Amino acid sequence: MGSEGFRRTRRMILGRVLLAPFVVVLLVCGTLVYHFAANLHYQLGAKLVRIVDGHRRIIEQFLEERTADLQFIAASSRFEDLTREGQLNRILGHLQQGSQAFLDLGVFDDKGNHVAYAGPYSDLVGRNYSQTKWFLEIREKPVYISDVFLGFRKIPHFVIVVRQESRDRTWFLRATIDSLFFNDLVGSIRVGKTGEAYLINPDGVFETPRRSGGDLMEVDPDHSLYRSDEREILSFSAKDKAGSRYLYATGRLRQTGWILVVRHETGEAYAPLVRAVGTAVALIVVGGGIFVFIGFVLASGLANRLRIADLEKREMGTQLIMAGKLAEVGEMSSGVAHEINNPLQVMKSEYTLIREILKDAETGRNALTPEDLRQVLDSVDQINVQIDRCKQITQGLLKFARKSEPSIQPIGLPSFIHEVVGMVEHRALLDNIRIVEKSEQGMEPIESDPAQLQQVFLNLLNNAIHALRNRDNAEIRITAEKEEDQLAISIGDNGCGIPPENLEKIFMPFFTTKPVGQGTGLGLSTCYGIVQRLGGKMSVSSELNVGSVFTVYLPLKVEAERKANPL
Amino acid sequence: MSRMRLLLVDDEERFLATTRILLEKRGVETATATNGSDALKVLEERPVDVVILDVKMPGMDGVEVLRRIKQKYPLVEVVMLTGHASVESAVEGLKLGAFDYVMKPIDIPDLLAKAEDALSKKQTMEDKIRRAKIEKIISHPMAVFGKDAEEEE
Repeated sequence: MGSEGFRRTRRMILGRVLLAPFVVVLLVCGTLVYHFAANLHYQLGAKLVRIVDGHRRIIEQFLEERTADLQFIAASSRFEDLTREGQLNRILGHLQQGSQAFLDLGVFDDKGNHVAYAGPYSDLVGRNYSQTKWFLEIREKPVYISDVFLGFRKIPHFVIVVRQESRDRTWFLRATIDSLFFNDLVGSIRVGKTGEAYLINPDGVFETPRRSGGDLMEVDPDHSLYRSDEREILSFSAKDKAGSRYLYATGRLRQTGWILVVRHETGEAYAPLVRAVGTAVALIVVGGGIFVFIGFVLASGLANRLRIADLEKREMGTQLIMAGKLAEVGEMSSGVAHEINNPLQVMKSEYTLIREILKDAETGRNALTPEDLRQVLDSVDQINVQIDRCKQITQGLLKFARKSEPSIQPIGLPSFIHEVVGMVEHRALLDNIRIVEKSEQGMEPIESDPAQLQQVFLNLLNNAIHALRNRDNAEIRITAEKEEDQLAISIGDNGCGIPPENLEKIFMPFFTTKPVGQGTGLGLSTCYGIVQRLGGKMSVSSELNVGSVFTVYLPLKVEAERKANPL
Repeated sequence: MSRMRLLLVDDEERFLATTRILLEKRGVETATATNGSDALKVLEERPVDVVILDVKMPGMDGVEVLRRIKQKYPLVEVVMLTGHASVESAVEGLKLGAFDYVMKPIDIPDLLAKAEDALSKKQTMEDKIRRAKIEKIISHPMAVFGKDAEEEE
């Protein structure tokens, strides 16, 4: 695993470990914010609606009471009584005891003449009001309530006029009402810092001053925005002319058609939401950053550990091969000693024979006969034969024990196998085992590591010999054939076979069925490792008491990467 | 000392041939066999004092041959000839009644000396048996017949 692999692993860990929680956190936050916003929106709207509802009722009640006061006076008094000197003043006094809002009181005949007056401006008596707006309006309906105006008094006020029809005449009772009452009432409404309330008439003229700008009798530039219903209180949001967005609630007054507007700047109203979202985002960013950092560190550590583990595994594989080789050497050494001692023994005999013949000749006990000479020559030749035998053995041993330097080279298959077989042939013969080699003809050479392959096949052959010990008609059958882009070499025996429960463990390191001290359990696992490193595979099939077949599949060519670094 | 009758068993034919020449020269009556069953056949056919027996042979291995020899001819001494340093088979051989073991490669004179030791042990044993028999006859003359009866079984 190179640094690219390291990065890939780390990225994979990071992605898998962080992405899922991150998505979940975002989903949770998103859902919470959404519901919070919806709830806040509803709450804010409901709050404004509640304010409008409550205050509208108070104002309506105020207007209703004042109107009822006038209607009561008009109904309970006669025109003549009211126009009598001092009577109206007395009534005004009574009214003012009930409500300070009454400023003055006037009585008008059906021509619009101001016939009686009680209040601070007595000079109004005698004027004709027939062309004024209120007079024109009151003839259409029984009660008229004017808009708020400042008048000469310079205090905001409005008038309520009631029409009274008696048997002989129609007359009107008019009262001027100080609008301070609902100025205060409406003006005192505060929602947060920017929340305010005001009254406008249906034409958009302010009936109460607006805190954020807008005096009495001015026209609200935004009045076209205000939606209103006959009775229903509406809540909506809109942008005013100045460009600020407000949340509005509006309700229409029954008597006058004035609209009570309560508005709250959206920015301020939604400030808690903005704060919450800001906090959440900040937490996600900071927390996410910390998590990403920790995750990065952990993933790096993990990836690094994986890399080290991988290296260790390779290292271990190498060590296993070496250990397996050493074990194999140990196991073989006794065999080798036998192999070498036999020729040595032959040589000893020949040496003794030659020496005796020569000694006899030297001492003159026996003259050298041609027969003796032939004998000596034969013995010397025999010694040479035995030396060659020894040489073969030592060479084979050297080949085996040599530290496996990676050497990928072409291997001619049938001859290579034959060479390996040659190393165990004698041993097999001792155990009465026949070795049959069957290879496809004309096989092209494969590219692989001969030293390592030799170890593999020696091991398999040794196992086969072991399995065939003390069996009749023992045979090892070696076949090699090409299968597509690989070569399959099978080593089969008709020996004791492998029980199924052992078959699955057979390639595991240190698994052995041999008695303690006789097998290391490294042979097959080492073979497996070697074959895998050479880009091949190994398989086994076996039947108890019928025999086993080990098959080694080798690629025709070892990959370039493996070639460069076989272990 | 009478002429030693020796049987040399090994799968190396050349070793057998040459060693036989050398031993014959020294007055040892030598028979050879290249495997265990041949060796047993030779033993059946002719009297042998000492068997030099290779441990590792194709077919029946040396230990097995030794077992059979000792079973059938307990007085025949066997010297094990082992090709490798593992003492186990030698120990096994000694347990089964081999006289001794020698390690290949061994000098022929040494081998012969070992064989002579074995022979003298055999002769000692035979003497002992003879003397015991004589004593038995002297002390219980009638026992001879009992013994003979036993032997006839």
